Amino acid sequence: MAEVSFHSEIQSLRLGDGEIFHGEGILGVTKALLQSGVAYVGGYQGAPVTHLLDVLVQSGDILDELGIHLETCTSEAAAAAMLGASINYPLRGAVTWKSIVGTNVAADALSNLASAGVIGGALIIVGEDYGEGASVIQERTHAMALKSSLWLLDPRPELPSIVRMVEKGFELSEASNTPVILELRVRACHVFGAFEAKDNVAPRFSAKNRLAPAKFNYDRLSHPPVIFPQEIAKFEKRLPLARKFILEHKLNERLGPEHGDLGLIVQGGLFNALNSRLALAGLSDVYGGVQTPTLVLNVTHPLVPEEITGFCAGKRAVLLIEEGSPDFLEQAISQMLRKADLNTKLHGKDFLAMAGEYTPLVLGRGLSQFLAAYGKKNETLESWVGSVDARKAEVTKTLSTALPPRPPTFCTGCPERPVFSAMKILKKEMGPVHVAVDIGCHALATFPPFSQGNSILGYGMSLASAAAVSGTQENRPVSIMGDGGFWHNGMLTGVAGAVLNKDDSVLIVMNNGYSSATGQQDLPSSAPEDDGRGRGVDIEAAVKAIGVNWIKRVRTYGVANVVNTLREALNTPEEGLKVIIADGECQLARQRRIKPERARLSAAGKRVERQRFWVDPDVCTGDHSCIRLSGCPSLTVKPNEDPLRTDPVAHVNNDCVGCGLCGEVSHAAQLCPSFAEINVIENPSPWDRMRHKVSTTLIRWFGGARDEAPAPSMVPAE
Amino acid sequence: MSDAKPIRLLIAALGGEGGGVLAGWISNAAIASGHFGQRTSIPGVAQRTGATTYYLEILPRAEETDGKRGPVLALNAAPGEVDVMVASELLEAIRAIQAGYVSPDRTMLIASTGRVYTVDEKSAMGDGRLDVERMESVAKKFAKRALLANFAAAAAGAKSQLNAALLGAIAGSGVLPISVEAFRAAIQSEGKAVEANLRGFEAGLNLAASGGKNTAAEQGEAAPSSAKAESDTELETRAKQALPVVAAGIATEGVRRLVDYQGPEYAALYLDRLGRFAKPGADGRLIRELARHLAVRMSFEDTIRVAQLKIKEGRVVRLRSESKVRDQDIIDVTEFLKPGPEEIFSLLPPRLGRGVLRLVDRLGWSEKSFPMKVRTTRFGGFLRLKLLSMLRGWRPRTLRYAEEQAWIEQWLDLVERALAVDVDVAREVAETARLVKGYGETYKRGHANWNRIVREIVEPFLAGELPVAQFADAVLQSRLAALADPDGVRLGDVIDSVRALPAERRIAAE
Repeated sequence: MAEVSFHSEIQSLRLGDGEIFHGEGILGVTKALLQSGVAYVGGYQGAPVTHLLDVLVQSGDILDELGIHLETCTSEAAAAAMLGASINYPLRGAVTWKSIVGTNVAADALSNLASAGVIGGALIIVGEDYGEGASVIQERTHAMALKSSLWLLDPRPELPSIVRMVEKGFELSEASNTPVILELRVRACHVFGAFEAKDNVAPRFSAKNRLAPAKFNYDRLSHPPVIFPQEIAKFEKRLPLARKFILEHKLNERLGPEHGDLGLIVQGGLFNALNSRLALAGLSDVYGGVQTPTLVLNVTHPLVPEEITGFCAGKRAVLLIEEGSPDFLEQAISQMLRKADLNTKLHGKDFLAMAGEYTPLVLGRGLSQFLAAYGKKNETLESWVGSVDARKAEVTKTLSTALPPRPPTFCTGCPERPVFSAMKILKKEMGPVHVAVDIGCHALATFPPFSQGNSILGYGMSLASAAAVSGTQENRPVSIMGDGGFWHNGMLTGVAGAVLNKDDSVLIVMNNGYSSATGQQDLPSSAPEDDGRGRGVDIEAAVKAIGVNWIKRVRTYGVANVVNTLREALNTPEEGLKVIIADGECQLARQRRIKPERARLSAAGKRVERQRFWVDPDVCTGDHSCIRLSGCPSLTVKPNEDPLRTDPVAHVNNDCVGCGLCGEVSHAAQLCPSFAEINVIENPSPWDRMRHKVSTTLIRWFGGARDEAPAPSMVPAE
Repeated sequence: MSDAKPIRLLIAALGGEGGGVLAGWISNAAIASGHFGQRTSIPGVAQRTGATTYYLEILPRAEETDGKRGPVLALNAAPGEVDVMVASELLEAIRAIQAGYVSPDRTMLIASTGRVYTVDEKSAMGDGRLDVERMESVAKKFAKRALLANFAAAAAGAKSQLNAALLGAIAGSGVLPISVEAFRAAIQSEGKAVEANLRGFEAGLNLAASGGKNTAAEQGEAAPSSAKAESDTELETRAKQALPVVAAGIATEGVRRLVDYQGPEYAALYLDRLGRFAKPGADGRLIRELARHLAVRMSFEDTIRVAQLKIKEGRVVRLRSESKVRDQDIIDVTEFLKPGPEEIFSLLPPRLGRGVLRLVDRLGWSEKSFPMKVRTTRFGGFLRLKLLSMLRGWRPRTLRYAEEQAWIEQWLDLVERALAVDVDVAREVAETARLVKGYGETYKRGHANWNRIVREIVEPFLAGELPVAQFADAVLQSRLAALADPDGVRLGDVIDSVRALPAERRIAAE
């Protein structure tokens, strides 16, 4: 079950006509899907669109009532292929994933889908993971829309606009027989706003109202010879239909005065950021009352030439605000202006950054230059840009030291951390090894204190990316893969490939039981539970079936055993792929399960044991080797109480979940004798109490201190 | 055109601290107060303890819409245009200031001064912590108003969470057009952990009312020490009389440490050693630092010492309070020990010990060690450590003792020779003792680094092979470099650049 519970959000999915929906942008999309009569929904989890699926997974009742089919797909390719249902049937379908990576994985199915075309509206909601907060390579989904002729929506980042574009997206898809991508940037997915809801609509066909299999129609197959006419249809039939729909339904918006000698064209998703800079310059207000003619492109592909030229005609110059590169829109608009023989000057990437997020500063600077170039120099904007730069320089000078970065780390007690502690310990003994990194929580080992890894090639790709390295080095390469990556495609591209080619390589599969980095969604190997989607498929059995002979299972927290197993994998004469399955349940999920249970038992007076670790401040000498082998958030430092020493000592804070890594590492790396495990017995049994009493009495007889919490004394203090 | 301006609020927090919940409380309170509120964030993988931000814009109710459209609010904070900056941690506040989100003419900064150390800071081999005072002065300098207090400690004191205390601080500071009651209502209507969150809220509210003054307990100040006001022992009196005032306090502490460690005679040896430096040329600061390092090095951490400390009086009491154990509960303490051959056989007399260690080395057993888990709260475990600690009287006859004393003499000789050059040089040479510490690997690495610095830097300078003006700085730089990475890479670089000094001079002279 997922990390976040959507109990209250689920209620708002039931809102009807005229009621006001309050919530997150991406959940607004979910509601809009239900209002649009969607028949099936699928996708693959990943920020920033994860919540769209998570909330539906928890909304079984609503889905059942409406007859909607929900699929938590094993990859984006599977999700894209699922849209194949709309090729032959009048079914509206929506899938979602993180882009650009998910779109890349889905590319094959998307191309085939786009060629055949759809009769039921097909909507792909992608989280454009671009700019601050992004976790993937920086590329534009726009390129994929262009190459496959998929339409691309980029709505203004507020809920009414997003919801409208979801609804219109289905209509556009059906009007032009083309799948449509709705792109939402990170902040738009997470923006909290409101819109006026409509009743949910049950799909015309579903499990409740079944339809007959489609008649054989070769035209619906993306297969020769119909691929040739399909390609022509994309441009001669579907494109004009789409442009007509965009104009008729006014999907793009013209704001501000009708005429003016300067104009602005902006991607819908950037409008709010642009407006705030215009407001600063006194050229707009907080209600979006722009004073310069502005064309907001809620549809960024296809562009409608007459709309563009109509807007540009009669203007001296237009500034195009298009985030990311290449500058697809700028190229397209330049061409339109040239063909229409308009000499309106087009600016874009000459004033705005070629690449990278269009932050307020980038926008402000570009806008300021644009205005100045046409004799409308804006003092306010210019001095703001100047003051921001000056302030930054001043602060940097005052600070005089660089601030340490704070990248994400493994959570407290994470079961994956010990594996990297083991690798660091083994590195001392065996020297460096090539490490192929994958996507998932385990990629956090690329940050300090582990700082390891040689390449990242995508989700489930680590083992495949080490294929050409194996056999070329003294030590065998080690590939890390999560259970998520394994099921996403690592099993086939990695394991099957390595078996087929007899690659002399080592694979560590982190089996933490969930797709943890994205919020603990269930995987095929997740434990089957009543409310979950896990099926308990055994990774070991799967790997064995593919033909791996050397398979070991380790409990990650047993560092010494992990070190020994990994050493064996690196040295064994056994040929071919060596697979280590590292078992350890995601600690976030585990704590969420056991903490309330433990608290309940303790409150009920039942005997409960809990463990935590402790560093003896008198014994610690402040070298922090332990931290360099762990990096656990609960293992930190504190000032040295010893007046003779100044280096801070290691310290375990009260967030410690007692995973045991500290003790294991201090043993495995032979660190120091500072660590102690504290076992707290709450509500001890009579036997516990007696044993304790005997021990403390004997200890006292043999010169030990009276080391007990002072019993509440009945004798008045002296 | 409307003149209305939204109030802009940026929250910097660490993933998992509940920054999203805090942003939710604020915007819900704003909306419930009739304002227009919008919030957004950039979670994703940063939610795993990384630095992240949450951004809100609030358009006050008084501003009527033009009837056609709702407000168009931004999703990104703009530098120089943030009205309220909230930071859950001091470094994150400074990071926000550096990014330009705090301006002297506009921004109210509300920051929790408690530190959550970054991995870079806490994994340093010495003290890698940032300077808190400097950060606080930067925070005050660049904010229009600054409310700095340890809200994390206040929240913990109220058995609540930091985000609730920060909400209280925001409410108490009165920067938003939202009543305290509306903020409380936001917590209540959320319906999760309401009691605890309200406790934290009130704690933050009170802290804001007091202008950010934490209570003594929250500041982590120790309660007045109940240390017995015994009169000084003879040795302590001697330390106070013979040494400069600035050094006497540390030396007295050193005497106590060594009496406990070995006995009065050993503490007397400590004062004799310090006495060598009570002469012209040596200043109080040098003697103070010598007194500090000498006491630490003389109380070296051999197996006997570790046993002594593990059964020290007051340990379990302290453990109980640190782990927040209720009086009726029982705790068991398991020590993780793993002595290697060096730790064990260095308890033998020097000749025998060296012989055994040579044999161990020849047999290839030097990396072997004996993992032990000893329960000091059970009689059996206690007895083992008690017996070990009783070897104290035997200690002066051990190999480890002989080696440590030889090292101390070598170090003191170097300081004395350096003092003949300059007191600053002597101080830096004295400071190199910091490198020698710890157990096992750490101890060996420290020794190796120290020997390398003596061989490559100190001795050549003393021999006049390198320009004396650079002496003190070279020793300082090499000491810092030795603590920069465990592999000695930086130290190698520093040594190379120091060794290149006279060569440069020769070229210049030619």
